[in-house]
Amino acid sequence: MTPILGRFIILASVLVATTGAFIAYAAGAKRSPEGLRWSQRFAYAFAALMIAATGVMEYALITHDFSVQYVAHVGSTQVPLWVTIVSLWSSLEGSILFWGFILGIYIAVTTWINRNDHQEYMPYAIGTWLSCGAFFSFLIAGPANPFLTVANPPLDGPGPNPLLQNHLLMIIHPPMLYLGYVGMTIPFGFAIAALLRGRLGQSFLRPLRASLLLPWVFLTIAIMLGGWWAYEVLGWGGYWAWDPVENASLLPWLTATAALHSAIVMERRGVLKGWTVTLIQASFLLTILGTFMTRSGVFNSVHSFTQSSIGPTILIFLAAVLLFSVALLSFRIDSLEAEGQLDSAVSREGMFLVNNLFFVVLTFTVLIGTCFPLVVEAVKGKQMSVGRPYFDAMVVPIGTALLFLLGVGPALPWGRASRKEMQRALLPPFITGAVVLVIGYVLGVRNPWTLITLLFGGYAAHVTLAQMWLPLRQRMKRGDSFGPALIDTQLRRGRRRFGGYVVHAGAVIVFVAIAVSSTMRTQQEVTLTRGQSTTFAGYTVTFTGTEERAEPNRQSTIAHFNISKDGKPVTTMEPRMNQYATMREPIGTPAVHSTITRDYYISIMNLQGDQAGVLIINMPMVGWIWFAVLMMGVGGLIALIPMRRRTYVVVPERAPEIDSEVVA
Amino acid sequence: MIATLFLLAFMQIKVPDAAQFVGAPQGTPLTGPQLERRTMEISSELRCPVCQGLAIGDSPSIMAANMKAQVRELLERGYTEAQILSYFEKSYGQFVLLKPKFQGVNALVWILPILALAGGFLLVVTKAKKLETAPVKSAAPNEPVDEPTDDLYLARVREMVDKQ
Repeated sequence: MTPILGRFIILASVLVATTGAFIAYAAGAKRSPEGLRWSQRFAYAFAALMIAATGVMEYALITHDFSVQYVAHVGSTQVPLWVTIVSLWSSLEGSILFWGFILGIYIAVTTWINRNDHQEYMPYAIGTWLSCGAFFSFLIAGPANPFLTVANPPLDGPGPNPLLQNHLLMIIHPPMLYLGYVGMTIPFGFAIAALLRGRLGQSFLRPLRASLLLPWVFLTIAIMLGGWWAYEVLGWGGYWAWDPVENASLLPWLTATAALHSAIVMERRGVLKGWTVTLIQASFLLTILGTFMTRSGVFNSVHSFTQSSIGPTILIFLAAVLLFSVALLSFRIDSLEAEGQLDSAVSREGMFLVNNLFFVVLTFTVLIGTCFPLVVEAVKGKQMSVGRPYFDAMVVPIGTALLFLLGVGPALPWGRASRKEMQRALLPPFITGAVVLVIGYVLGVRNPWTLITLLFGGYAAHVTLAQMWLPLRQRMKRGDSFGPALIDTQLRRGRRRFGGYVVHAGAVIVFVAIAVSSTMRTQQEVTLTRGQSTTFAGYTVTFTGTEERAEPNRQSTIAHFNISKDGKPVTTMEPRMNQYATMREPIGTPAVHSTITRDYYISIMNLQGDQAGVLIINMPMVGWIWFAVLMMGVGGLIALIPMRRRTYVVVPERAPEIDSEVVA
Repeated sequence: MIATLFLLAFMQIKVPDAAQFVGAPQGTPLTGPQLERRTMEISSELRCPVCQGLAIGDSPSIMAANMKAQVRELLERGYTEAQILSYFEKSYGQFVLLKPKFQGVNALVWILPILALAGGFLLVVTKAKKLETAPVKSAAPNEPVDEPTDDLYLARVREMVDKQ
């Protein structure tokens, strides 16, 4: 019964999304308010169907209905309830359904928020979203159908991939990633609407920017959680391996970050509209490419958990969207172009241009590095690799240049800077940078790239803090006294600006923490017999024995280590090896002892009788990365909170929609 | 293919002499912490043939551990980084090099991003020049305003002005 209901809902959603898309585009072309209302209804209906289909699947999972093929694949009566619930996104079919679920919610919420606004653009936007919705419903209905039935239902299933059961981070990382990935559909729809309309008015910049910023925040957090998961689970003491799937999540983040910056120039100067729209389209295309990379099984990856036949379908969709976007851009980009001008290249807007250049080159480099082995193998039939050493060599210089811009850009004034202004703006932060550099050197930093990062980081930190402080200082000059009330108005009035600088501050910490943790890391491999100890990086590690623990879905061997410093016990660490019934090789879970300054990391390489072969890693500052990325996300959210509409505006709340007037 | 690689790895353990592949050692033998550091560095440039794209330095697999032991041994005997890399390349093919060589088609992976940077730089410069000399179509705000589009009313007025 359940699978039939599920299939019925999915077929209905294909129908609703397709019809809704046609109605919406027609409403856009005819500028029909009635048509817009109907397309809104179809958008809500699509969301309702997607939520219902996901509900049906969760019901099947929780009730262990093994007649449903997906449940037979990933379900198990032996796993805890939370694993059963998150099994929805543990394998291909379920994760595409989950995609549809999130897409539905995004579409419905955005449609509802703008139900009375931007009527000029909304029909085209809804049409574009529902077209994407139609594609994903089609995927769920056909190539990735989770509601297929099993003729002879098994009594129990194998449960989801053990790597996913290994850590609680797996509950939040995939949803965050999907919220980021799927969310890029929304600004894409807005961008297509602007292109189809041939206009991008000032008041439409706001929903465009907000719709881009929200998925950006999710994606930022998701990338960090993915790295953190790799660090906590994979046992090699790293968080980023330039693995194709990691790159797939980074690519749209890079273009979206570039777009968020160019949107600021667009808002201030009226230029770069076509460029911003292009970046938004690229971000969406890269999410689809990323889905292809993750889901097709073409790429080798530690994060890739599914191989399937939906690769070609996604590739066709990607090609279609690419052609459509490029064609639309080439016909319409002129209609969006420059209304304003730049005064001087050496200004804040000039730095924005360079920032965009670096972000795009970075995207291109990561894309080339990721896809190059595939191309070579297809063309020349030879296998080759492009791995971490390549990416490190290419990305570190560009990243360092971006950190430099992060400092210099906000220091330069808008418009045109005089020589004196430039000196005043650029020199003092340089002193802070030099101080940070010297402190780093004294603490033992010798790697030239890390030293440069410290210099630029100190510079950027000075500028960022000065910019946060600037409006407060201006207001105090005007006579307001410093106090909570002042800060309060400050936060409310300049929230966007403030949020932006919180993101920048987080980014500076991320840069420095990555540089320090990767170049200052030390490690040691030792084999310890029970009772034996070794001293490494200030701690004495004593192996006190192992313990077996049987859990329903796995057999764990836990090794106990006492950590002491100068004879005084500090903590105990318990890395483990987990043997899952469904896997041949055991999976290790390292133990991490985090302090403010550094992480002490123990990973089991092998366990034999009384002997434990362990990898001990000492990594300074690594914990700062998670914290600082979280700070970037929080900064993004601060910038997202809508401003209170000012009460002294005399026009009625529903002023006649100027947007929908025909452009003469 | 993985089976072949396993076989190869097995054979190499039996034939530890790198001399027939890359000749006599050309560097100085390493010991102590320097040996550990170099082993780690070179291990990060070699791909573990049986893993999902991990370097042998990062992989917990037995094969990676064996390869790492080989790297350490070769360093102890005074082989240089270039010799060691070329030894592994001769044994496993260029697949094993995580940092592609600047050679043949593979050079493209290094050249293309640099071309993109150069091309993009030219584009930005011309664009900036064009924008600097562009005629002013609208009154661009010179004074930084805290929140230009915050005020819907202001935005609408501005939009109407723009249109005229």
